[in-house]
Amino acid sequence: MKNYINNFSKHVTQAILTIPHKEIAKALSLLEAVYERDGRIYVFGNGGSLAMATHWVGDFNKTIFNNLLETKTKRFQAIRLPSTEVELTAWANDIGYDMVFAGPLQNYLTDSDLIIAISSSGNSPNIVKAVQYANRRKVPVIGLSGFDGGKLNKLADIKILVKTKKGAYTTVECVHNMILHLMTQYFNDYFSELYEKRKGSISR
Amino acid sequence: MIVVRAPLRISFMGGGTDIAKFYSKYGGKVISTTIDKYVNVVINRTPLIPRISVKYSVSEVADKPEDISHTRVRAGLMCTGIRSGIEIASFSTLPSKTGLGSSSSFTAALLMGLYAFTGKKISKKELAEESCTLEIETLGEPIGKQDQYAAVYGGFNTIEFRPNGKTIVKPVLIDYKTRTEFEDRLILLYTGITRDASSVLTVQKANMEKKVEQMKFLAASVDVFKKELEKGNFKKLGEMLHEAWLAKKSLAYNMSNKTIDRLYDTGRRAGAWGGKILGAGGGGCILFLSPKSKKSVIKEALTKQIKRMKLKNAKIIPFSMVQSGTEILFNGEDRSNHYV
Repeated sequence: MKNYINNFSKHVTQAILTIPHKEIAKALSLLEAVYERDGRIYVFGNGGSLAMATHWVGDFNKTIFNNLLETKTKRFQAIRLPSTEVELTAWANDIGYDMVFAGPLQNYLTDSDLIIAISSSGNSPNIVKAVQYANRRKVPVIGLSGFDGGKLNKLADIKILVKTKKGAYTTVECVHNMILHLMTQYFNDYFSELYEKRKGSISR
Repeated sequence: MIVVRAPLRISFMGGGTDIAKFYSKYGGKVISTTIDKYVNVVINRTPLIPRISVKYSVSEVADKPEDISHTRVRAGLMCTGIRSGIEIASFSTLPSKTGLGSSSSFTAALLMGLYAFTGKKISKKELAEESCTLEIETLGEPIGKQDQYAAVYGGFNTIEFRPNGKTIVKPVLIDYKTRTEFEDRLILLYTGITRDASSVLTVQKANMEKKVEQMKFLAASVDVFKKELEKGNFKKLGEMLHEAWLAKKSLAYNMSNKTIDRLYDTGRRAGAWGGKILGAGGGGCILFLSPKSKKSVIKEALTKQIKRMKLKNAKIIPFSMVQSGTEILFNGEDRSNHYV
């Protein structure tokens, strides 16, 4: 048992060691810029990736400002797509499963927004379709992919690829989750510290 | 209606090496950041009013683009092919001619807005290049390319101007800790003296041959500045600014003047490590870099000096660095031409 646990941990640790620092730093800059212009962040994925997207939205909208909920009303606006089961099933049933993200995205997307697409293979047709739509609208895309990155890593403006062997879903998802938490923690630390430093007068 | 916002910028090192006459021979490089002061351009479609209406410090109305007297608006309309039925207005946080690159921020915001008006989406690269073309080639202004690139890309960057005309933007990836620590050591003083960048740049351009070695030194200092910034070695940065200021001052006789020298000396005597004139010089803003502990003493000394010198428009401008570039804040145009 000990060996099995060690082995699993080793795979995840190895993947963590190869995460693209520069791309993550650029993603943080993009997130800050979208906050500055009061734009929205749309995030989506399939299965486990959708669960991560949902978890992240909760953290990003609230947890970041946990220490400032009463003093700071300007917040991030992160939205998980599709935002209702009704949209998910309606698009899938009526049009096709490849439209479940692109369909709702078309309703919402404005020029001041930002996209985060999560896909371990990077090749899910519904993810690719939504990202291509954002590309055409010149809305920046942060792509979290795994394995060899697939199409998502080629199409994304910010390429956060967790390189693993093909099919290593658990490893990729562990590391994706870590990176998403890093984003939340970064802004949590940033705003908390700024608040302490500037004695409450945060102009951002 | 379309609302586009472009930030102003603070340049730290390498200014002047972004002028074609220099970089086409030696290559140029600058390091700069955008700040939370903006130029906003609002564009409105007026299908029932077949005219062009432009609102800035004055208001003008014309039947065709050729008759607009605002040079950038005229050129912008002509290059995007918009003939009529449009209203354009600009709104800024700060006055113009502060040395914070506001004219180029305006151009970038205007072009992005005009393209959005025609239904065209434009990449950062295209927008930066077209802004440069409009100002330097179409309007023949004796300026460089750094302001357009800084305003379009946004954030903290090094911008390299290669002799073959290629421009490379690389983000300086410092975290919030380094960034806010840096902000805590900067003072931005608006002198209240306004000047046209062109007048200083024209002299600087004429003197360029003689000053090549100094300019090369300024461009080469950019990478050193970046490395020291990443290390958080702010004292070294201050000293570099002081050295560069001395070097740059010798590039154009009208870059500084007695007023600016006196203000700069006041800051230095009160404890600043160094500083610089922002923009082409001759007026505008002075940026000081100082120990955190000296910041309030310096601010006090500068405020007193401003009063003594009767500079009634001068003031210290609080600011934060931002990641924003030129961005559409609102686009109420019909989106029906964008299919999935």
